[in-house]
Amino acid sequence: MLFTTDKQTLEDLNIFGKQGSDSVYTIFNRTTTRGGAAILEEMFRYPLSDEDAINRRSGIIQYFAALGTTFPFQSAHFDAVEPYLSNTDERTKLSAQDHSIGKKLSNLIGVDAETAVIYKGVTALTELLKGTFDFIASLNGKGGHFYQDDKDAIASLLAEPAFAPVLKEQGKLSHATMVEYDVLFRFRHRPAIQKLLRYIYYLDVYLSVARVALERKFVFPRALPKERHLLNLEGVYHLQLKNPVPNTLQITPDSNVLFLTGANMAGKSTFMKSLGIALFLAHMGFPVAASSMEFSVLDGIYTTINLPDNLGMGASHFYAEVLRVKKVAQELSLSKNLFVIFDELFRGTNVKDAYEATIAITAGFAAKRNSMFVISTHIIEAGDVLKERSPSISFVYLPTRMKGNIPVYTYTLEAGITADRHGMVIVNNEGILDILKKGILNSEKTTIA
Amino acid sequence: MSFIADKQTLEDLNLLGKYKPYSIYGLFNKAVTTGGERMLEAMFQHPLSDPGEINQRSTIFQYFQHRALAFPFNREQIGVMEDFLGAGSGNILSAGVVATRKKLMSVLVRDEAYGVLQAAVLTVIKVLTDLSDFLRKLDERESPEVRELGRPYQEEVNLLKKILGDRRLSGLREEMGVMQLPLLKVVRYDHLFRKVLAEEMETILEQIYRLDVCIAVSNVARARGFGYAQALPGENRIFRAAALSHPGLEKAVANPVNLHQDSNMLFLTGANMAGKSTFMKAFGIAVYLAHMGFPVAAEQMVFSIRDGIYSSINVPDNLALGLSHFYAEVLRVKKVAEEVSGRKNLIVIFDELFKGTNVKDAYDATLAVTEAFSQYRNCLFIISTHIIEVGETLRERRDNLQFAYLPTVMEGTVPRYPYKMERGITTDRHGMMIIENEGILTILATEADLKLKLHSN
Repeated sequence: MLFTTDKQTLEDLNIFGKQGSDSVYTIFNRTTTRGGAAILEEMFRYPLSDEDAINRRSGIIQYFAALGTTFPFQSAHFDAVEPYLSNTDERTKLSAQDHSIGKKLSNLIGVDAETAVIYKGVTALTELLKGTFDFIASLNGKGGHFYQDDKDAIASLLAEPAFAPVLKEQGKLSHATMVEYDVLFRFRHRPAIQKLLRYIYYLDVYLSVARVALERKFVFPRALPKERHLLNLEGVYHLQLKNPVPNTLQITPDSNVLFLTGANMAGKSTFMKSLGIALFLAHMGFPVAASSMEFSVLDGIYTTINLPDNLGMGASHFYAEVLRVKKVAQELSLSKNLFVIFDELFRGTNVKDAYEATIAITAGFAAKRNSMFVISTHIIEAGDVLKERSPSISFVYLPTRMKGNIPVYTYTLEAGITADRHGMVIVNNEGILDILKKGILNSEKTTIA
Repeated sequence: MSFIADKQTLEDLNLLGKYKPYSIYGLFNKAVTTGGERMLEAMFQHPLSDPGEINQRSTIFQYFQHRALAFPFNREQIGVMEDFLGAGSGNILSAGVVATRKKLMSVLVRDEAYGVLQAAVLTVIKVLTDLSDFLRKLDERESPEVRELGRPYQEEVNLLKKILGDRRLSGLREEMGVMQLPLLKVVRYDHLFRKVLAEEMETILEQIYRLDVCIAVSNVARARGFGYAQALPGENRIFRAAALSHPGLEKAVANPVNLHQDSNMLFLTGANMAGKSTFMKAFGIAVYLAHMGFPVAAEQMVFSIRDGIYSSINVPDNLALGLSHFYAEVLRVKKVAEEVSGRKNLIVIFDELFKGTNVKDAYDATLAVTEAFSQYRNCLFIISTHIIEVGETLRERRDNLQFAYLPTVMEGTVPRYPYKMERGITTDRHGMMIIENEGILTILATEADLKLKLHSN
């Protein structure tokens, strides 16, 4: 079964971001090859929902991270190979007969473009084959068993007798060899070459992700069986921030809802995003921005952090939120194990409706013990009711400390419900009531005078 | 000083914008000519602040509404005339040379320039003749209602008649229906229109635009059954309308409004879909249109001139600036507080203040802010909220509030909204009902219940 997510979630977590802006994908995209970049994107598009597959990919990346090797090829190689291989026209085959004196002479002056592409391609592929052979041979060290299958597959591809002379090649290739290899690469063993390239692209992805993990000190999460419904996250932080503050949390079937409160700037959304991103990456078998992580594999993730309202179409923000909750509820009713994030649930409506709706929906979610929920709200009063009603809700908040009139934020989770009544503080800080009082006093003065 | 309405207010009320769907400007913009559109836009951008001026313009619209005359020109005619007059011209000699050369070219190489020139001259002749016909029609048989209005447009009519009565224009009627003019006549009229009477022609165009606007607006008023507001000097501090509705809605329900110095704040409650925002917008739009001297979607409306209007209906959050919704609203309220305390006579509309906070703070803030504002008897307020406790408290503390609500009638589980305002405070809220109607709780509950049942079995 696929790991499900949707557009709203990808946008909330900034997985792909807008064109040209920083995103989670761009942080990991250090691939050398275009093929690698495409595979990386595919991995982001389709996270895994199978424990073994996750642990396997994670194991491979860990293995390469431990080795510390770098990708042994340059992108120039692939720039030559890709257009070369894509040309499957038989008529462009290099010909040995065509090797007349006249041709040689004209080649001295300048090779025609088509032949040049083929020459380059053949040379680069020869290098690639040799390089891969050497690289595979150099791979050892412990933890390699996850990559063993791939390694064996590559070795068996290269073991094809026809490639034997290619691997022994030294120095510049003569025209005759070019002709011979051209047929080999482009026509006779084309499928094998393409398979091999795909393995190299994967290698590119693994190595670049491993390097990101090393440089940024990311950790590799451990996938647990689905049935345990566990999440242990230590020191999770937002990977796009300069000076992030880490937080630790645990979600179990007995406490499957995290009820998050805190002032506006206290960092609720950032915390929720970092959670979502960690879960998302973990399901790709990728390293995450945390100090340790264990998680039961889930069926999907749904976040609602920046829900756009559709005022133009007449749908109010509240209604947009209701529809979003409904969608998640429908997914949940299919007995899926989901990770659900709602930031400021029902902020689009009046506080009283929001209060009732938050209680009803959160209590409803809490009954879904197999899924995990993180719900943030301003309506701290709802927390007091929920405490009584649903034992599986745990309450955390992001505190605000007042230094005189200036709020300071610690960004560190604390247990409980916030007591920050920041609403009136802001109204008072802006001096609205004073302005109005002064105005009245002034006018009274003038009337008396 | 002109009437103040800032960007937020204009957006809230959806007043301006030719290309915005359902904007009030779009509603009235039935002008035929581009110049008319421009003039209408200018009127929307500059509401008036003098009762005399407002009432005068309003009377003109009423006059045209009763006369029900069709605008005698089309967009192309006026466009051709604008282009022709705008090009300017030299003395008679050069006009003759130019026209003759064009004529020659048209004969020799079938150049179209002469044809264009001749057509333009003929168009101007037609427009001028039609205009004098129109003026004659305007003078004809006035009904008693019209006579009551006096002759608000007479000044303009006289001005136009004077220009059209010019001796040099007396032969125009003879050229009507002609397809070709002799070269000499083309030259003569060209020179006459573009050089000799250039200024007069400019005035005529301007007056045609005015006519266009007057007829377009009064047509909209007639088609939609709009009424006209009577402007009073600012000292009276009243706003009264027998039946006020939203001009953009086809089947709008009308409600009476009566605000005055001793009862200058309307405290509005009601469920989410009950029509609070629509009513507040309708009120704001009526105030704005009335200050333009335009027809309003209200009956028997009387109002004192105000200095401006401020609304807070859809305050957008500005997450890019780190402003949450709540903070954005606070800043908006602050801005209005500054204006109100500057002793301006304002109309203030607050729709459901302080959304993004907890219940207690929303109550405290709404109460404090509403009470502070209610001290300003020179301004008129409409405030909506779901926090009915604020209303109860204010009822005890202040005597200048009116309490009204928009009711919800339940038919089984389906709410129906009559949109008819009633006195008092309502506890209606239907957030939970929307959730229940969407069946979310049932969707969530089924599985858990099933499990329970399985266990008990």
